[in-house]
Amino acid sequence: MFLEVKDITVAYDTALVLDGVSLGINEGEFVSIIGANGAGKTTLLRTICGLMDWEKELMRGMRKEVSNIVIEGDIFFDGEKINKIAAAKRAEKGLILCPEGGRPFRELTVLDNLKTGAFLIKEKQKVQQILEEVYKLFPILREREKQVSGTLSGGERTMLAIGRSLMSNPKILLIDEPSLGLAPRIKEEVFGRIEEIYQAGVTVLLVEQDANRVLSLCSRNYVLSQGRVVFEGTSDKLRGEEKIRKMYLGL
Amino acid sequence: MQVLISGIMIGSVYAVLALGFSLIWGAARIINLAYTSFYMLAAYFFYVGISLLGLNIFIAVPLSIVIATLIGVSTYKFCLERIRAHDVVVILISIALAFFFEECILSIFGHQFHRVPPFISGYRELFGVRVLNQYFVAFGFSVTLILGLWIFLSRSRIGIAIRATSQDKEIVNLMGISEKRVSIIAMIIGTGFVTISSVVVAPIYVVEPSMWMHPIIMILAIVVLGGLGSLKGSFIAAYILAFSEVAVVNWLPMGAFIKSAVALLVMIIVLAIRPEGLFGVVFEEERL
Repeated sequence: MFLEVKDITVAYDTALVLDGVSLGINEGEFVSIIGANGAGKTTLLRTICGLMDWEKELMRGMRKEVSNIVIEGDIFFDGEKINKIAAAKRAEKGLILCPEGGRPFRELTVLDNLKTGAFLIKEKQKVQQILEEVYKLFPILREREKQVSGTLSGGERTMLAIGRSLMSNPKILLIDEPSLGLAPRIKEEVFGRIEEIYQAGVTVLLVEQDANRVLSLCSRNYVLSQGRVVFEGTSDKLRGEEKIRKMYLGL
Repeated sequence: MQVLISGIMIGSVYAVLALGFSLIWGAARIINLAYTSFYMLAAYFFYVGISLLGLNIFIAVPLSIVIATLIGVSTYKFCLERIRAHDVVVILISIALAFFFEECILSIFGHQFHRVPPFISGYRELFGVRVLNQYFVAFGFSVTLILGLWIFLSRSRIGIAIRATSQDKEIVNLMGISEKRVSIIAMIIGTGFVTISSVVVAPIYVVEPSMWMHPIIMILAIVVLGGLGSLKGSFIAAYILAFSEVAVVNWLPMGAFIKSAVALLVMIIVLAIRPEGLFGVVFEEERL
């Protein structure tokens, strides 16, 4: 397994968010995690890339109800146990998350946002080369290069966030609900681009609510509900499971 | 003319102080009230080096800057870093640190005012106004620091990382930028700014234990007026407040005694009318 998550349990004080989640992704796979609001999808991705540990450390000095974050379980990436190392170090290893809502740096220009994404790459030429590739994927970003990213539209912001996370040449890209708040046509374009990224050789773990669209995209799926994996398998298998489909996906 | 020249010179020094403070606030997200303690400490180290130990100015200046900056960064590393998510505690601890340093200096050097020699003595006439040479030195240092910071933040890889961290300190982790390390770097630059200005302006003013008080009041007024977290705002507000301070000192009778009051009055008015200041920044975590 390229990325393997073993028995992850996460709780905020007394609220259990993830309850023994295990999953794995092989190199070159396109896997999705589907689930409703509050299923724990975002928390799972944040745990994998280390943001939960970062938050826990930051909150150390706060009141107990706020600071008491419990994180248990193991995460392996590329044959290495990574759940004790810092979020920034995980990114260095090629594990990159494109966060929910994109979260571009609002006061920075589009170009500076992309440069931030390339922080780990020190050779200027290489940065330029990846930048060209990202611009080829999202031509709109080239047009908006000098614009402050806070003034972009929702779709452009999502594309900027995906572009930014590509700037460090990720080995695996985790994308958290890229379709959030987008019009159907833009959503289609974003999904199309994500498929292109996958075709170009990046392993992708996609988290989505829109199950219908995801099933035709991914090779394998996990369905998450109330912090537990309730289904795992190929898209065809999932289409066959009527109970899961009706109960969790509303299809 | 006197007001114009003094305003520009003092404004540049304030700008450096406020930019350092804003940089620390932006990246490490702490209101460090002990910030100007390192201003005082650097001035005292400089005084010790040059007047008591008789060191050469080229040794005394860098030495006092480096030692004071080191103390500043270590107070962050060992006292403030672990509690920085807790704003109120940060303010309490940093003010405690500020008084702690003042008491230390008091118990070693006492209440006396000390003077340190200027880098270049004498004065020069500029548009009919006599200006101490040391003012030109301070002005030169300040402009260099401001320009240097501007180029660093807009061009360099680390500079862009600092700006990104000031916007969203969580997300930068995903780019492989260690937010903790960026905070330390900002802390080094910010404290460096305050200690450098301290050493260059020390010959103009006097060195005494409570010399940290006036600058921190000015800085707070400046960042409130300019908008907390906005470097551009700090820069512009520094000049506005410097001019008003110089004008009050020059034009009002007994003006020198109420110069801090003016800054505080500006702060109160801004907070009452436009709390975000001239160029307020909304941080990502407040938006959520």
